[in-house]
Amino acid sequence: MHIPDGYLDLSIAGLFFVLTLAVLGYSIFKLRGAKLTSLFGVLSAAIFAAQMLNWPIPGGTSAHFVGGSLAGILLGPYAGSLAMAIVLTIQTLVFNDGGITAWGANVWNMAIVNVFVGYYIYQTFSKFSRSFSAFLAGWLGITIAAIFAGLEIGLSTSFAYGLSITIPVMGIWHAVLGIIEGIITAGVVSYIATRRADLLEKKEVGKASFVLIAGLIALSPVFAYLAEEVGYSEPLENAAEMLGLEENPIYESIFPDYTIPGLDPYTGTLISGAIGVLIVLLLAYAVKYARSSRKDT
Amino acid sequence: MHVVLEKTLKNASSYFQNFFIHDYSSNGAIHLIDARIKLLSTIVFVILAISTFEFDKLSFLLFSLILISAILGLSLKRLFSRVWLFSIFSFLVVSPLLIQDLKYPFLFTLRVTVAIIAVQMLVMSTSFAEICSALRSLKVPEIFIHGLWLAYRYILVVFQDIISILLARESRRVAKGSHADLWRKGGESVGLFFLRSIERAERVQLAMASRGERVIQSKFKFGLLEIIYITLSAFVALWCIVL
Repeated sequence: MHIPDGYLDLSIAGLFFVLTLAVLGYSIFKLRGAKLTSLFGVLSAAIFAAQMLNWPIPGGTSAHFVGGSLAGILLGPYAGSLAMAIVLTIQTLVFNDGGITAWGANVWNMAIVNVFVGYYIYQTFSKFSRSFSAFLAGWLGITIAAIFAGLEIGLSTSFAYGLSITIPVMGIWHAVLGIIEGIITAGVVSYIATRRADLLEKKEVGKASFVLIAGLIALSPVFAYLAEEVGYSEPLENAAEMLGLEENPIYESIFPDYTIPGLDPYTGTLISGAIGVLIVLLLAYAVKYARSSRKDT
Repeated sequence: MHVVLEKTLKNASSYFQNFFIHDYSSNGAIHLIDARIKLLSTIVFVILAISTFEFDKLSFLLFSLILISAILGLSLKRLFSRVWLFSIFSFLVVSPLLIQDLKYPFLFTLRVTVAIIAVQMLVMSTSFAEICSALRSLKVPEIFIHGLWLAYRYILVVFQDIISILLARESRRVAKGSHADLWRKGGESVGLFFLRSIERAERVQLAMASRGERVIQSKFKFGLLEIIYITLSAFVALWCIVL
């Protein structure tokens, strides 16, 4: 479900960056003063390790656990979303699993939508059956997160497939695989309930915060649609156009089209090529010099 | 359970290689450049790549990034070995559109490839501690950076825990069991693993409280190498806009 760089329009990537930073910032604000650093850190590592487990499914293939809903159930939505954001940041910056510009969208889907939806589904139904509510949280959490991923790439004009393809593909596939996520979440929650039920106690969230974050999640597709309509998709090109750079080049090349004015094209190309090679060699020498001086110090 | 163990270990072995990629991808000049500058340049390169579908700009970016990598001592063989698979995957995803538009799948793949190369230049040349320091200097909240750093350091430790739990369960198993059994018992194993992790986190929190929480040392550099890298990046970025 990790969206790579290049699949999202810049406007949509930027929008989800802003939304994600707003919710994560609010989560950090809510957790201020609580000595929870090690809990995020070690549990993020645990979620990361649990994601490496490959569960065999009938047909010879396998699926892996995501753990967003479980993070919400165990840590509460604020700490859970931070823990998942940590996992996703490591996956982006160490494994290049998910793009840097798509970080906002990926965290929004797997660390905010998945965690908050999973947490509230669990809290709503846990009074009837703890295991069943954990199953529902795991299953629906991942499925809804996948639908959001489908929505983001479907709305992006860079990705030529429209919503009618991306949402069903992501949604249906994850709804099937999500059953395993649900079963494992239910297994984990049932086991923890028998050993340390205190960890599953309801976390204080606050009604206003719930309404605000639920509203942001519900409205984010509308924001994404509007961001796409406004058409900020190619800001650098827009800026270049606005500055008139296409019509009035700001720099006349020394060797236009790899030739030298006054010389015949073949000789000009040969000389400009040689000068180019010389520049690269000088640059390489400068780097070598700088590197050796850095090592000496 | 042995299938879970086997597949997980196989998957994990390739995954964990990433932890050390910046070490074994040779010690070039790019490894010595300040992480903040590399991180910001990477973001600029990726934004440039994903803001256009123009062949000229994308091919210029591709050529420039490869040239910068080669000059600064990054192994091109290793770089391409980490890029080609995802580029092919991206092409396959959009290849049905070849019938409608011959250019689009190639341009789409090209921009994804350029973006991945830009990120790999950072990943292959920068340790995670340096990235955390860079994020701190960019004013990312401390709680998030500490969490990142702790998670990174504990991944191997907790992974060992989960494998031990699965191995213990496997050694006690007497019947094959169905898929549903496997998932249920697997869920219990993961439950035990999370309980142990929470207990470990509580111990770590106590240890951190007793010796102080500052876990990352910031170390920044600014010299000739950084100036060269900034100049190259700025040149590529400006040229790409003007092109």
